[in-house]
Amino acid sequence: MERKWRKISGLIGLLLLNFMNNVSSLSLTITKVECVYEIVRSEGDIVSGNFVVVDHHIFWSSDHPGIDFSITSPGGDILHNLKGTSGDKFSFKAPRSGLYQFCFHNPLSTPETIALYIHIGHIPNEHNLAKNEHVDPINVKIAELREALEAVTTEQKYLKARDAVHRRTNESTKKRVIGYTVGEYILLTIASVLQVVYIRRLFSKSVGYNRI
Amino acid sequence: MILRSVIMVVVVVVVGILSSASQALRFELQSGHTKCISEDIKSNSMTVGKYHVVNPNEAYPLPDSLKFAVRVTSPQGNSLHTAEKVETGQFAFTAAEDGDYMACFWAEDHSPQIIMTVDFDWRSGVQAKDWSNVAKKGQVDVVELELKKLYDTVTSIHEEMFYLREREEEMQALNQATTSKMFWLSFLSLFLCLSVAGIQFWHLKTFFEKKKLI
Repeated sequence: MERKWRKISGLIGLLLLNFMNNVSSLSLTITKVECVYEIVRSEGDIVSGNFVVVDHHIFWSSDHPGIDFSITSPGGDILHNLKGTSGDKFSFKAPRSGLYQFCFHNPLSTPETIALYIHIGHIPNEHNLAKNEHVDPINVKIAELREALEAVTTEQKYLKARDAVHRRTNESTKKRVIGYTVGEYILLTIASVLQVVYIRRLFSKSVGYNRI
Repeated sequence: MILRSVIMVVVVVVVGILSSASQALRFELQSGHTKCISEDIKSNSMTVGKYHVVNPNEAYPLPDSLKFAVRVTSPQGNSLHTAEKVETGQFAFTAAEDGDYMACFWAEDHSPQIIMTVDFDWRSGVQAKDWSNVAKKGQVDVVELELKKLYDTVTSIHEEMFYLREREEEMQALNQATTSKMFWLSFLSLFLCLSVAGIQFWHLKTFFEKKKLI
């Protein structure tokens, strides 16, 4: 009878595990302030994630201040505050359950695009459960394994976003190099043609004057 | 058209994920504004989306004004799911092609500006599979189910690594092409400069010789 209870609670525990993991990946365009909310179901969950500013060309002119990022707990405390970044990773242990706020602030008015990825991971442990329930160690190990894999996935999302930014920069460089070079040629040709035309005009009139 | 007629800020929320993606997030929707979420879905993968308005007052029923319209479009522009004046709903489809699928929410104008919180859960790929149905078959299968999910996750990680590797190769080829272009262009500009100077010189020389100044 007890074994059956254990199996059922294990089944319930595992079914609950299905819904316990939360990932959210998106990229936003922010003009002033944009906030994304995520619910953390239990205290002690590890919230990890990263964000990358996709419109990287804003940083070429060195006086752009960057994007500000902050994470606020449901109690109102600011857990993480970054000013003037172009992308970063974050990871923290949630001090309590509730609605967490991930906010971006753009100091300038031009809209910037940001790719964001958040993962909330839960590992069941003995302390959280009531006395009658018992967590099968295999569930704990499976949850740890899943969290490790999710950490790899998180890193991959970061790499993918940075690769996309890098690619945009390189493609823009290529276009600009070719564009400016061809433009330079055309300008050079026009300048030299104008020079010749001007010199011709200079000499075709003044010859007449010199012959007085 | 409707998107373009939105006042002020149009916030485009683009989800850039390849294979397995899950999203349960909340965002605020202002009346008269639009918010769009798009997700990069692979072809032949299942996608499930659920959306509902979060009730600001738990005790009272949802007021009528907290309704919005939804449209889900394929990368081609075909509308896969539309709903007007709803507060909850869901959609599911199998992606016919690779690309960005977009789900747009807009709230109509209201005289005192309402800001409603929309809870949106969009899953595709691995997370879209209905694992709970498979689990109900028996208790022994639960661990196997979990391990199957882990296996699927590992497979998707592997595929993503292939994608990243391909992108890196493409990037390297692009940089190589840029470098060689710059190399040839610098020679070309030197040649152009010298030839323009030469043509100028020759032209002016014949001109002055014709004018009998030289």
